Amino acid sequence: MVLAASSLQDVLPVVARAWDARGGVPVRFNFDATSRLAPQVIKGAPADVFVSADDEWMRWLEERGGVDSLSIRRVATNQLVFVVPTGAPDPPGAPGSIARADLARIALAGENVPAGRYARAALESVGAWSSVEPRVVRGGSVRGTLEWVARAEADGGIVYRSDALAEERVSLAFAFEGEDFPQPAYSGAIASRTEFRETAEAFLDFLSGAAAAALFSASGFGPASVGGPVTQTLTPAPGLDASPGLDPWSAVRLSLIVALSAVLLGLVPAVAMGWLLARKNFLGKSFVSMIVMAPLVVPPVVTGFLLLSVLGRDSALGGLLAAMGLPIPFTLLGATLAALVVGFPLYVMAIRAVFDTVDRRFEEVSWTLGVPKAPTFRRISLPLALPGIAAGAVLAFARALGEFGATVVLAGNMEGETRTIALAVYSLLESPSGRGATWLLVIASVVLSLVALLGFEGLTRWQRRRMEDHHGH
Amino acid sequence: MASTAAAGGSELHVRVRVPLDAIELDVDWRPESDHVAIVGPSGSGKSTLLRALAGLEPGALGHVSFGGDVWLDSDSGVYTPAWERRVGWVPQDALLFPHLSLRENLAYAGAGEPDVERMAASLFLSDLLDRRPRFLSGGERQRVALGRALLAAPRMLLLDEPFSALDRPLRSEIAAMVRAFARDSATPIVLVSHDEHDAELLADERWVLVAGRLTADGARQSSEPHA
Repeated sequence: MVLAASSLQDVLPVVARAWDARGGVPVRFNFDATSRLAPQVIKGAPADVFVSADDEWMRWLEERGGVDSLSIRRVATNQLVFVVPTGAPDPPGAPGSIARADLARIALAGENVPAGRYARAALESVGAWSSVEPRVVRGGSVRGTLEWVARAEADGGIVYRSDALAEERVSLAFAFEGEDFPQPAYSGAIASRTEFRETAEAFLDFLSGAAAAALFSASGFGPASVGGPVTQTLTPAPGLDASPGLDPWSAVRLSLIVALSAVLLGLVPAVAMGWLLARKNFLGKSFVSMIVMAPLVVPPVVTGFLLLSVLGRDSALGGLLAAMGLPIPFTLLGATLAALVVGFPLYVMAIRAVFDTVDRRFEEVSWTLGVPKAPTFRRISLPLALPGIAAGAVLAFARALGEFGATVVLAGNMEGETRTIALAVYSLLESPSGRGATWLLVIASVVLSLVALLGFEGLTRWQRRRMEDHHGH
Repeated sequence: MASTAAAGGSELHVRVRVPLDAIELDVDWRPESDHVAIVGPSGSGKSTLLRALAGLEPGALGHVSFGGDVWLDSDSGVYTPAWERRVGWVPQDALLFPHLSLRENLAYAGAGEPDVERMAASLFLSDLLDRRPRFLSGGERQRVALGRALLAAPRMLLLDEPFSALDRPLRSEIAAMVRAFARDSATPIVLVSHDEHDAELLADERWVLVAGRLTADGARQSSEPHA
């Protein structure tokens, strides 16, 4: 099993096929951000070879005995490039012009992901970091960053040359070339815990050999020799043990704001939909019900992607909203919307259930007393459904608190803007430091969720008691 | 004026078919008196007939007219909704609004405070006005449901086993009170019950409903209301 940086996702399987062809043992891969893989090696992930996109993470592992020191070697290099959406007018031509004001949004990978750290270091070395920082949107991985540029959600982004080549919806504006810039370099090592040391050694030899080098080069990677020896510090980015500059209270506050707004924004639609599904028969009812319930079973990341497709700036609806001053992607509104859509099925289910159990003859009595349908709904149906509506709101609130997947895709992971508790914890897990903040957020998250569930329990009991009043005589 | 209405009958004409689970309610009915009782075993369609009169059976086919108004005529597509028929429907299980106090239940259709107090007194409910329905006995609930219907100034009273939870002495008192109300306001009554005694208390004319078919019953008929 080879744990490798996600930017190698396309090239390593090709290399592995060549290795297979020469009689090597078949290899399996697990690709993810180096910053997530390295801690997994320590925690005992089944790994034989580890390929890092960042020397600092390799050194971090070495110090903790996760890899064999002597086996560490350079495998390939890469280059940071600035990409813009294909067809963008007047792309910047050199690193110095990134500070230009018309580049309103610049996408970088997460701050602990190597590509994100390299990008920051590159911007710092041209003195542009402080002016660019407020415009930065942080994705998780390089691929996520690339997707945002490809959809023109960001005006430009810094990614690896190898990734930029594979995506035709972006074009390369310039490369960060020269001594002044960090040189992204991949190094490989044998995991200390491997049971197949000889095979691992042989595969690593093959990876750093000439045959693999040709394949790397064909995919846009640079030769291993350019990067210099592994022991040299290549990344002047903030050390791994520095806190990732994350305010836990801001995350808690944001989570509460997002969850509350989602509940309020969804109240009227959820009541209307719950009532419609409980009380009316119409053509296509099961289809409507299916669409409403879909976010319950569709992976949230997929929901986020669909929302981005419908509400992104490159779509008709998203363009219209942006023109009205209501941009969705990377905004608090986007995070709220993602949380609402994912929590909406629970909201509607609870309300539908209460409308199912409220005796419709209460409404009929009200009609015979001369009160027409609309005022009967307001005076009888709504108050009787209140416990169920409140229970649905609490469930939707709890789900919104926990929302991660759709939010990170639609709204990104932006400090003070869209980084809720779940996203903050995720960011903190990529950094070996910041344990204190992580625990604080974990406790806040658990406490908030339990309080919400307690509230739900209480409301359910209230509802049951009310129903018994009527039926229990 | 009460005697005029009594003499002319209630001018109610009902010719409806309502498909039910097991049987079909199929009646062609033109009662002669103002105060009519329909007796019959449970499951014979009594409650459904009342619901059809109240405008709560949208599946009813046929023709219903009352006092010159056509409430239902499925041939010409006429259907008067329940809130325009203004009948005082008192269902068997009272159906008091559980989230409202007795006072609020009684005043639901817009009656003023003095009327609510007076009605509560005549139904022996004055001490309970601020309670919620859950704290009432079955008999108390029935009386509230009756009061709520009477306070809405109904054009007709539809009573579904209205005294089933009351003890005998109280039955007579409440029945006398309903009769007085009906006489003073010239309001016709249609009462359904499986209890012969209830029918005697309120009605001048009695019909029998069995398996969805209605037949006149000559056992007791008097055109004069109780004084």
